[in-house]
Amino acid sequence: PAGPGGAAVPRAGLKKLVLPPDYSGIVFPEKPKLKFMDKVPAVPKVRREPRRLRDIRGPSREATDFIQGQYGILALGGGYLHWGHLEMIRLTVGRHMDPKSMFAVWRVPAPSKPVTRKSLGHRMGGGKGPIDRYVTAVRSGRLVVELGGRCHFGEVQPFLAQVAQKLPFPAVPVSRESLREMRREEEEKRLNNQNPWTFERVVTSNMLGMRKYLSPYDLRLHGRYWGKFFLKHRV
Amino acid sequence: AGTAKMAALSGRTGWLRGWLPALPLLRRGSKAVTRHWRAMNFQRQKLLAVTEYLPPRPAVPPRCLPAPGDHPQEEDGYVRLLRRQVEEVFRSSRMVAVCQYNSMPDEDVVLMRHYLRKHNIEVKFVLNEIIRPVLAESKYRNLLPLFVCRNILLASPETRAKEMLRVLKGIPQVNLLGACIDDTILSRQGVENFARLPSLEASQGQTVGALSLLPSQTSSLLQRGPFLLTALLDEHIRRLRDTGAPGQPPQGQGT
Repeated sequence: PAGPGGAAVPRAGLKKLVLPPDYSGIVFPEKPKLKFMDKVPAVPKVRREPRRLRDIRGPSREATDFIQGQYGILALGGGYLHWGHLEMIRLTVGRHMDPKSMFAVWRVPAPSKPVTRKSLGHRMGGGKGPIDRYVTAVRSGRLVVELGGRCHFGEVQPFLAQVAQKLPFPAVPVSRESLREMRREEEEKRLNNQNPWTFERVVTSNMLGMRKYLSPYDLRLHGRYWGKFFLKHRV
Repeated sequence: AGTAKMAALSGRTGWLRGWLPALPLLRRGSKAVTRHWRAMNFQRQKLLAVTEYLPPRPAVPPRCLPAPGDHPQEEDGYVRLLRRQVEEVFRSSRMVAVCQYNSMPDEDVVLMRHYLRKHNIEVKFVLNEIIRPVLAESKYRNLLPLFVCRNILLASPETRAKEMLRVLKGIPQVNLLGACIDDTILSRQGVENFARLPSLEASQGQTVGALSLLPSQTSSLLQRGPFLLTALLDEHIRRLRDTGAPGQPPQGQGT
């Protein structure tokens, strides 16, 4: 609204009263805080296992959607989580959340994959090293922890972002709506791409003999994954 | 040595004695999944560059089109209530004055409300964004230019403009902008003139007096002729008496 002389007079206007959010359908688990995870599984493995880095590669098949909570941490790359990471998550989330009104749930199992390491300063050879620690493999697109309760995303986002920053792979705090929005945007991008040449099309029909330079996994990964990295900007 | 070569490169087809691959694959270099960013084949890099995402480009860029405008939000119950109240004010009061309101201390606001209440005038604070649509649809369209800045409405079922002006004269922060009295829109000057008008009883008496002025003059009008004649004759007698004083006063014809 213009005042005399043409200058706009800033006004607050009527207060738009917002209804408080509806937390009626939320079921709290018995223990709201995150469970303690063991460093070593109850039956430690004797046989040393091969590295099997393919459990990091590609998109995740499990734990991609929310189960109990409303907010969580989504992994945007592959990696191994060991006990130190899990303790950090457990303690940080436990410190910042209010157990009376919020609850947290693990979406990642306890470390079970043994990882070996040779002692420092020795040359190659002499067999495989002893088991150093146990880790859990996390692929991109998997939820690590879930949070829920009578809270809104703004309350939860700061410490989830803090935790996500400390993880060995890129991660981002999400809510149910933001994840849905992310998936919808991805789908929209895929549909309204103006480029007639897509990686998928080139690989499936082996145009120009490109499969000589690509891996057979690229048939499945469609150029969105490279090693353990997830290329977010690719369609 | 032969078995070692077989064990190392067992997946290769075309493995014949003396055949060496042009590119010694898997001898040195990293595995598929590495901690660092593994260098991509140049052909692969070219393929990724060619198959990048191209966003849609509409023929008319969206910033050249008129702004879409936010969808009108569903009306608040609170907004509806305030609108109803404003309509009620306009319907029930004979006099509605619009004043500009600058911020006053709270106790002064209370005092002003008290003085105006004594003259049966109610003070109402209104928001422009509510009152503008209400006025635009009603018959008070011409009051719209008044509702620009912070303002208050002084509503009353009686038209006591003089007392209102006297109260508002003592408050410098509230300035009268205009009023609507008995379905007549008046400016500030108009309100002052209206206040200076005599009260209804006095004006009624004045009207009655003005109307009965002519009839009251009727008797004097009718008697004017004979009065003139009487005055002339008296004057004549006096003059004759004066001239006939040394002599004999003439026998005056009596009338």
